[in-house]
Amino acid sequence: MVQFTLPKNSKIGKGKVFAKPEGAVNVKEFRIYRWNPEDGQNPRIDTYYVDLDDCGPMVLDALLKIKDEQDPTLTFRRSCREGVCGSCSMNIDGTNTLACTKAIDEIKGAVKVYPLPHMKVVKDLIPDLTNFYAQHASIAPFLKTDTPAPETEWPQSREDRAKLDGLYECILCASCSTSCPSYWWNEDRYLGPAILLQAYRWIIDSRDEATGERLDNLEDPFRLYRCHTILNCTKTCPKSLNPAEAIANIKRLLIERRY
Amino acid sequence: MRMQTPMRTPLKQARGLGTTSGGAVHFWRQRITGLANVPLTVFFLFSMVFLAGADHAAVVSYFSHPIPALLMMLFVIASAWHMMLGFQVIIEDYIHHEGMKVLALVGNILFTAFFGLTCIFAIVKLSLGG
Amino acid sequence: MAGNEIKIERPLSPHLQIYRPMFTMMMSMMHRITGAALFFGTFILAWWLISAASGPAYYSYVNVFVSSWLGRLILFGYTWALIHHMLGGIRHFIWDTGRMFSRPALEYSAWAMLISSVGLTWVVWIAGYIVMGGRP
Repeated sequence: MVQFTLPKNSKIGKGKVFAKPEGAVNVKEFRIYRWNPEDGQNPRIDTYYVDLDDCGPMVLDALLKIKDEQDPTLTFRRSCREGVCGSCSMNIDGTNTLACTKAIDEIKGAVKVYPLPHMKVVKDLIPDLTNFYAQHASIAPFLKTDTPAPETEWPQSREDRAKLDGLYECILCASCSTSCPSYWWNEDRYLGPAILLQAYRWIIDSRDEATGERLDNLEDPFRLYRCHTILNCTKTCPKSLNPAEAIANIKRLLIERRY
Repeated sequence: MRMQTPMRTPLKQARGLGTTSGGAVHFWRQRITGLANVPLTVFFLFSMVFLAGADHAAVVSYFSHPIPALLMMLFVIASAWHMMLGFQVIIEDYIHHEGMKVLALVGNILFTAFFGLTCIFAIVKLSLGG
Repeated sequence: MAGNEIKIERPLSPHLQIYRPMFTMMMSMMHRITGAALFFGTFILAWWLISAASGPAYYSYVNVFVSSWLGRLILFGYTWALIHHMLGGIRHFIWDTGRMFSRPALEYSAWAMLISSVGLTWVVWIAGYIVMGGRP
């Protein structure tokens, strides 16, 4: 039976409360999930207060300010700070998104920051994405052709190129897959919305010649069909992509070729 | 969730035992029985309204006509099949222990067959005079 | 970490405990719950049909239960579950054709489904009472 509650070693305990900044008027409370692999304890929630008048507008700015001024042990992934690399994906105020594009003002009350849901935690806000990346490799995310390569490029019409819009922009931040309850219960066998979106990106690429093989690989009751159109993925995507629609299109193609 | 087995590459774990082709067939059958269920459910609700508060004689008389009896039987067949497919998905989603899962899947089929046939038997008996 | 021989089991990050409940997610859950409830509702249908096939004596016994407040409550719930699951199924059909995936469409179709299912359940039951009232 699937475990709906957290295992014993994952139950969250009370954490530290850090001091409020002196003389600050515009103060926001941040409650952040912490876990240190080196202290042998359960995870906890630490509370920090940030002076918003002295901070950038996004949640990532606040996290960096906390790390810089209050607690250097706070650990999280980050890189581009402009929403294109996918490193800083985490659960903020209940939904998965990128910390660098989530405005602090959008959040009422305390800002609750957790790592991506139902993932093994490496430290603090960092999830173990090894399986996620392996699933991406398993769908062969590269052009497959048997025809010898042309002198210049593989020709593609504007209409065919337009079909890739809404698919190629995925930055593999894993927000959607980790928002999907089906992926929570079956992440070892279900590919998840992010990977299925990428699979669809290669299936409808007009230059690819292994379409049949790609569809064969997805026709499994677990690999694709754990999707029950719960729709958390489309609602949470920080790049406004639509994985649910891509998955529906894959299902349509599978029916089209069978009947 | 399966534990990360040591000395297996992540790609091996992600690939697992490979893919089968059963997914699309199950999906198609679920949709077909679902589609059939829309008009049949409307008929079923209409029947229940028609027979609201009815006595035994009225029920027997209703099913003695071939069309209501036939449509009711089709409703039972389509919804039982749809129900079995749907419950199979629920079992696959939540039960991961192999033994329990097989037991539940077999139980699902047997339950559906038993109750489906029970309903059909009752309808046939009613249509032949109660 | 070098030299640290004790393997610490990594914790699982919270999921249901912290994820914001979305209306669309609740409706998807409702679709599954109504489906499972209908599974148990076949008991009632089979029981009613068998009782009718067993003769007037047993049928009137079942009728007494069905007419009780508990029986009516269960039947009302069963009716709503059936209609809600059917409307949800139609919504799934529309998605299968690739339509109605825009963010606004997802929200308003979920609301339309809930409101219609409650409304139609009342319509069916009012019709049933009218028919019952018209009986001698």
